Amino acid sequence: MAKGRPSDRFLPPDPRVTEPYRFTPQLALRVGMLGAVALAVFAVLFLRLWALQVLSGDKYLNAAQENQVRTVRIEAPRGTILDRNGNVLVSNVPGTAVRIWKSDLPSEGRYAMFKRLSKVLRVPLPRLTRALEDSKDDPLSPITIKTAVHEDQVMYLTERVAEFPGVQIVGTYLRDYEHRALAAQILGYVGEISPQELAARKRDGYRGGDKLGKSGVERAFDVYLRGTPGAAQVRVDSVGRPQSEYETKEYPTYGSSVRLTIDVGLQQAAEQALAFGIRTARDHESYNANGGAIVALDPRDGAILALASNPTYKPSVYVGRADPKKLEPLVDDKVAKERNYPGINRALAGQYPPGSVFKPVTALAAISDGLLSPYQSIQCTPTAYYGEDRFQFNNWNPYTNQPMTLPTALAQSCDTYFYEVGNRYYERGEIERAYWTRMQDWARKFGFGRISGLDIGGETAGLVPTPAWRRKTYEGIDRAWNPGDLIQLAIGQKDVTVSPLQMARFYALLANGGKLVTPYLVSAVEQPGNDGSPPITKRTFPPARPEPVDVDAAGLSVIRDGLYAATHDAYGTSSGVFGSFPVPVAGKTGTAEKVVDLPGYGPGHLEDQSWWCGWGPFDVSTYGDRGPIVVCAVIENGGHGGTAAAPAALKVFERWFGVKAGIQGLVASD
Amino acid sequence: MLDVSSRSAPSQGIDVLAFVRRLDWLLVGAVAALVAYGLWAVAGITRYDVEGDGSYYVIRQAIAVGLGAVALLVALAVDPDRYRRAQRVIFGSTIVLMVLVFLLAQETRGSKRWIDIGPFQFQPSEFGKLLFVLALAGFLADRARRLDAGVVLQAVGLALIPILLVFKQPDLGTSLVYSAALAACLFVAGARWTHLLALAATAVTVIVSVVWLLPNVGVEVLEPYQKERLTGFANPDRDPGGTTYNVTQSITAVGSGGLDGRGVAGATQTRLDYLPEHATDFVFASLAEQRGFFGAALLLGLYLLVVWRGLRIITVARDAYGAIVAGGIVLAFLFQIFVNVGMTMGIAPVTGIPLPFVTVGGSSMVANLAAIGVLLSIHARGNLGRRRD
Repeated sequence: MAKGRPSDRFLPPDPRVTEPYRFTPQLALRVGMLGAVALAVFAVLFLRLWALQVLSGDKYLNAAQENQVRTVRIEAPRGTILDRNGNVLVSNVPGTAVRIWKSDLPSEGRYAMFKRLSKVLRVPLPRLTRALEDSKDDPLSPITIKTAVHEDQVMYLTERVAEFPGVQIVGTYLRDYEHRALAAQILGYVGEISPQELAARKRDGYRGGDKLGKSGVERAFDVYLRGTPGAAQVRVDSVGRPQSEYETKEYPTYGSSVRLTIDVGLQQAAEQALAFGIRTARDHESYNANGGAIVALDPRDGAILALASNPTYKPSVYVGRADPKKLEPLVDDKVAKERNYPGINRALAGQYPPGSVFKPVTALAAISDGLLSPYQSIQCTPTAYYGEDRFQFNNWNPYTNQPMTLPTALAQSCDTYFYEVGNRYYERGEIERAYWTRMQDWARKFGFGRISGLDIGGETAGLVPTPAWRRKTYEGIDRAWNPGDLIQLAIGQKDVTVSPLQMARFYALLANGGKLVTPYLVSAVEQPGNDGSPPITKRTFPPARPEPVDVDAAGLSVIRDGLYAATHDAYGTSSGVFGSFPVPVAGKTGTAEKVVDLPGYGPGHLEDQSWWCGWGPFDVSTYGDRGPIVVCAVIENGGHGGTAAAPAALKVFERWFGVKAGIQGLVASD
Repeated sequence: MLDVSSRSAPSQGIDVLAFVRRLDWLLVGAVAALVAYGLWAVAGITRYDVEGDGSYYVIRQAIAVGLGAVALLVALAVDPDRYRRAQRVIFGSTIVLMVLVFLLAQETRGSKRWIDIGPFQFQPSEFGKLLFVLALAGFLADRARRLDAGVVLQAVGLALIPILLVFKQPDLGTSLVYSAALAACLFVAGARWTHLLALAATAVTVIVSVVWLLPNVGVEVLEPYQKERLTGFANPDRDPGGTTYNVTQSITAVGSGGLDGRGVAGATQTRLDYLPEHATDFVFASLAEQRGFFGAALLLGLYLLVVWRGLRIITVARDAYGAIVAGGIVLAFLFQIFVNVGMTMGIAPVTGIPLPFVTVGGSSMVANLAAIGVLLSIHARGNLGRRRD
């Protein structure tokens, strides 16, 4: 517009005169353009409005309606765990839990809120933030930050809902352990599902925030125990404040009860017996005795009647107001070591050299392989020499020097007798290599070196050493298979390790005439009956049929006699303990040297592991109303088998058969 | 021709009547309707915001309308040419206001925009929009006849002072409104196309650098949240729980309104606070949810009416100054409407720009009504006899 000079046809322009303002065509064009822009803008806005509200209105209406409905899981009460007679081991008590819905947390001031929350609930702030961090991949599941919340804390939080957006207080069920520490390692504990566990189980209907059995029966039978969660819906505003009552859409189903083969009374007896065994060991100058395990099972079908492990813990430390101090022995490696690992179920996972309790394995193998005749006399000397360099092997008893048949050798636990048997395997193997592994093959058939498939898991396989294993494990000269390997294996020393459960399984085989049982702990899953009506069995777990092992029957019978002699003959290693017991019990002591790492001792420190395994009644009949039972006991660093493990095992027999042993005699034991 | 001067005082009574007749009654009506409709809408939108006092916000808003009406009348009485002559004072006080914000304002959610005066909060940048246009238009009008590159550059340089001050508050949205007003003033003042194109090219370069180039070499001009908002509208589904949460909820609110709305009680997005800032930045989404397409379209229609009347005032302005002021005011207005409404529907970046006459906020209401007063004043003193030259 102001570009060209206005027409000055008549006079030259006078700079003192301001031209009047005119609305020029150029400006009109520009205003027109602005008008076009305005129309375009409004057209866009109208079209978009139309598209959103009229064309896709229903879609957004749905989205808006779903926005405010939150579906929450209603926790199902977890099933109870019962002993074989229906005594309750674990049940539930109602409790309160505080959860966080991450999607509802405020975007600002989160940290300040967490700080307050951690103060109110007395949950350390780092733990709180870690819990959130851990589940950052799953923003839609609530995170339980504390269970068993105190009434005052609940009051405080409910009165200040608005100050804690995303924090929810819900009713929950807490595990209640009627017998406190009893059977802790068998029962296991329950915790919130971890992201890793969730990833593995999402298909089975687990969701974030669910509870999950973390060990023992709670873990192995979680599918039955957990029940089916229900669903409720609630209308909430954008900060998660409920705007309506919870409306139940689906009711939760109670978890089923799990019935164990455990006998509460016997379990108590076994745990007390373990403690007694440890005390006894200390009284007999085995001051480092600090743990052990007892397994009691039915030799006919493998039903486990008691399974004790010491040291132990109270599973309730995992419930609710978890005290980090009390959890330390279970979760902190250093503290766990100081306390000798209370979390480990030693009966299944403990690995001990078996010592003399292994001798029946050697004998049964050698007879079945034709390397030993049961009534052949072998001189039981204080020492023996084997190998090219005439290496010396000692008997535990340096004062004996007499010919022995197998029963006597077992009864008195003569080491040199079994060294000879081991050496026969070695020498035969030099001609025919298979004999270097024959004894081990039998051991495997008897259940050593592999897990039994116990229903709650948690077993370790142990080790039965073979030339192949030695080659694989060692370097250089140590790879060679030497006479000592088989000679030591014959008395259950050197590399062989077994768990108490494996040993109990083998003694069940000796007791029942050569059949290998599969131990089991859970007999049935039941639905609790209403108002006192009997429970409905939903599923039973019948014992696996005992597997016959093709051992030499006559040899087995001789070995059984030997084990009976061991508890009843004048020179039997545990006659002093079992000789006067009214129920005929047969069994074997063991004193196994094991390198242990104890504070105050250098590396390579050896301690005697005290063993006793046996069964009663001898003929596997019933005694009164009680069936036969195999008991296997280990006292860690407990010294001689006869001094610690055998008296502990006796306590279990006494409780099971309800009779007391007479006066204890002198114990001469390896 | 003696009575042509607007400063002739003798016959005031008759002049007032003539003045009233010279008002743009259509604009007056449109603005009155907008304000009334806005109050009604706010009453519904904020019904559940203050527990126990459903009319808390609407009463405060009504008081602001009262103050705004006074400001409108005052602006109407003042000859716009006075602003032109006082342009230096106006410009200076605009800058002073902006600086005061930095010195006095309390930080609210990371930015300093408000000054507390007694019980009221005063947002200078809202008044600054009007003052900025009045001062800048004066600078340009005085040089309208030789609008060469130097003048354009000077104008841009002057304008950048308040623009950058507002940007540093930080109030990105308002600084963009200022920029739109600057562009409009240059456009109406008659800046050459080549200059305008050069400026546009510069603006594009600056935006590209700020959003993309500079961050890539390690210089961050925008706060991360600002960048996220500016670019987030392009793909709102990327992170519905996070940065684009507001936009997702806003689109849901708008869409759920349907043809005739969900009503005040049924509009859950607003009532249950899913829609954040529903009384201020996202007020349009709330309105659309509660009143539906009919209600939202009515509002847009009223805005269109105001914009049309405003553009028409450029054509009847008595002088270049009036035309430039009108252009600046109307374009700033149009820009705010587009960005705010577009933002709630996911077609414009998220910036905290109020929706004129509806957003709850006293400063914005008073400043906007004052701006309408200026427009009406320009109209009343314009060349009504010689329309369509």
